[in-house]
Amino acid sequence: MSAALEATKIERAPAPAAPLQPGRTRRTFAPFSWLWWTIGMLYLGLPLYGTFVFSLQKTRGTLSFAAYTSALSEPLFLRTFLFSNIMAFSTIIVSLMLVVPTAYWVQLRAPKWRPAVEFISLMPFVIPAIVLVFGLIKTYSRPLQLLGITIIPPLTNSTMTTNVLLVAAYTVLSLPYMYRSVDNGLRAMDVRTLTEAAQSLGAGWPTILFRVIFPNLRSALLSGSLLTFAIVVGELTLASFLNRPAFGPYLALIGNHQTYEPAALAIVTFGLTWLAMILINVATGGKKGATVTGVR
Amino acid sequence: MAFLNLISVSKIYPNALQPAVIDFNLNVEAGEFVSFLGPSGCGKTTTLRMVAGFETPSAGKVLMDGKDITNIRPNQREIGMVFQSYALFPNMSVADNIGFGLKVGGKPVAEIKERVREMLALIKLEELGARYPFQLSGGQQQRVALARALAIRPKLLLLDEPLSALDAKIRVSLRTEIREIQQRLGITTIYVTHDQEEALSLSDRVVVMNNARIEQVGAPFEIYNFPATRFVASFVGTLNTLTAEVVDPATGLLSVHGQPIHAVAPLQEQAGAQVALALRPELLKISTERQGQNGDGDDASENTLKGVIETITFLGSIVRIDVRVGDSVVKLDEFNNPHLKLPKRGDAVTITFGREACLVLDRAARAALPA
Repeated sequence: MSAALEATKIERAPAPAAPLQPGRTRRTFAPFSWLWWTIGMLYLGLPLYGTFVFSLQKTRGTLSFAAYTSALSEPLFLRTFLFSNIMAFSTIIVSLMLVVPTAYWVQLRAPKWRPAVEFISLMPFVIPAIVLVFGLIKTYSRPLQLLGITIIPPLTNSTMTTNVLLVAAYTVLSLPYMYRSVDNGLRAMDVRTLTEAAQSLGAGWPTILFRVIFPNLRSALLSGSLLTFAIVVGELTLASFLNRPAFGPYLALIGNHQTYEPAALAIVTFGLTWLAMILINVATGGKKGATVTGVR
Repeated sequence: MAFLNLISVSKIYPNALQPAVIDFNLNVEAGEFVSFLGPSGCGKTTTLRMVAGFETPSAGKVLMDGKDITNIRPNQREIGMVFQSYALFPNMSVADNIGFGLKVGGKPVAEIKERVREMLALIKLEELGARYPFQLSGGQQQRVALARALAIRPKLLLLDEPLSALDAKIRVSLRTEIREIQQRLGITTIYVTHDQEEALSLSDRVVVMNNARIEQVGAPFEIYNFPATRFVASFVGTLNTLTAEVVDPATGLLSVHGQPIHAVAPLQEQAGAQVALALRPELLKISTERQGQNGDGDDASENTLKGVIETITFLGSIVRIDVRVGDSVVKLDEFNNPHLKLPKRGDAVTITFGREACLVLDRAARAALPA
């Protein structure tokens, strides 16, 4: 077989198309689809538009970005936003380190444990954040002892350890999203064969995980990470009860004391979420039409 | 001592209804190409995976180059493997895929580059090193997978149904290429397939498996022409198996539906015993009543069976004719040619075949097989 002969096969032949009827287009819309689309867009878009217009009315009689200037120039905004960002990135790293090896191992070696792991990953949906935070405070505000020996000192006694507790709580809160994303990513590739191929080439577990599995889960990891980011940045209950200077409590605070700034910050937060979604799109849309080898 | 020894290897999965592999014994010489052939679920892939280290034998030992590797981890065995689903790393280019094992092994960059170039030349894909797996055809991907497995210079090459996912034409050309590369490198190779044509055309020896056990080990010619069991006879090639009754063991006389048939050698079974008589379609000739009893062979040493044409199937280069003989159907092949005069459905015909065409199967009957 010559390389030239093979090279001709690189381009994938398009799927055979059904012949078109004369005078008919392939894509047809239901008669009222535009109507429903318009209603849907109005339902979703009008409140946003209203909030945006409201946020521009800080200066009487004229539309301006004064509320944005005021909200963004507030030192607390930057401080809390930065703090929540650090918490979000820490949570993402801890989540990835916890979820990826677990989901990978379940997929590869312990598929019978999948229902149990899935059940655990869904627990944050049924345990309210308020219950979680009271449980954490009750458990970790005193030393954890075993046979009279202190295993874990009280975590709420210092800023550093409270932050650790907050990251751990955020990790629990984002578990359903991170686990689903990673698990879907793993199911989309033939994990077992790729692992065995890497093993037969001399790779050990760390090499397999960091050079084969992680890079091929890029989109899934990004999705999980961005969802985690969105959850952490806007989270209110945990940060409030653990008394940490996060963005969620700050939003609630200015919502109680100011008029136009909360609307401006809502728009900013919405913009950041959209930016995150665009990032996901860019990251996952790069190889349109490509088939991933090793996929079952 | 052989290069690879599988000694009484068995595999029993917990909670499984039956063992996956039972008492597998095989010696593979250095440079030999051995195929495991058998139907799905017969244990061939499990055996291969035990050699690779992905499964641990429940009993027995695997020795390579005199060293017991039964409990050695797969990444320390120096065994290259090619998978049915290619298993190329999607995030790496062709060159990176090929160089992966060398990188993991800590080889210098210059050596990796040189070996990758060498491997790309070996698989004739020099210009595609920068492409990603999804930009290649199935055949090209499998060649890259082969190059990747060979790049680490493994002691043993394992191929697990590597051509199953490819179309027929690519399969034929790629199997020739695999054999050429194997012979050029002289690498000991084990090839798993359920395709008898692949196994027979590629291998120095074929291991036929069924129900977790080895049925027969031998050269392709031996496996095809002298099957040792009824399973091998029926699985490898097309074979007619007829139930025959031993009439006179000393003269090799049998009776098939009341018609006398002579085997080439005396039989070990006693008179009245039932045996399986196997006949290859390509060794049978057919003649109609009008053409005479013995067709074009008047030799008295030839066997004949009378029957009625049931179906005639045109297969291109050959025409397959099914003849009903008693309650059995005997298939036979005629080479196609433009002047071929075929009988019609329902015609009474005589099937003619030499004594050496008679394979009397099952244990004791092996003595009756031609030397």
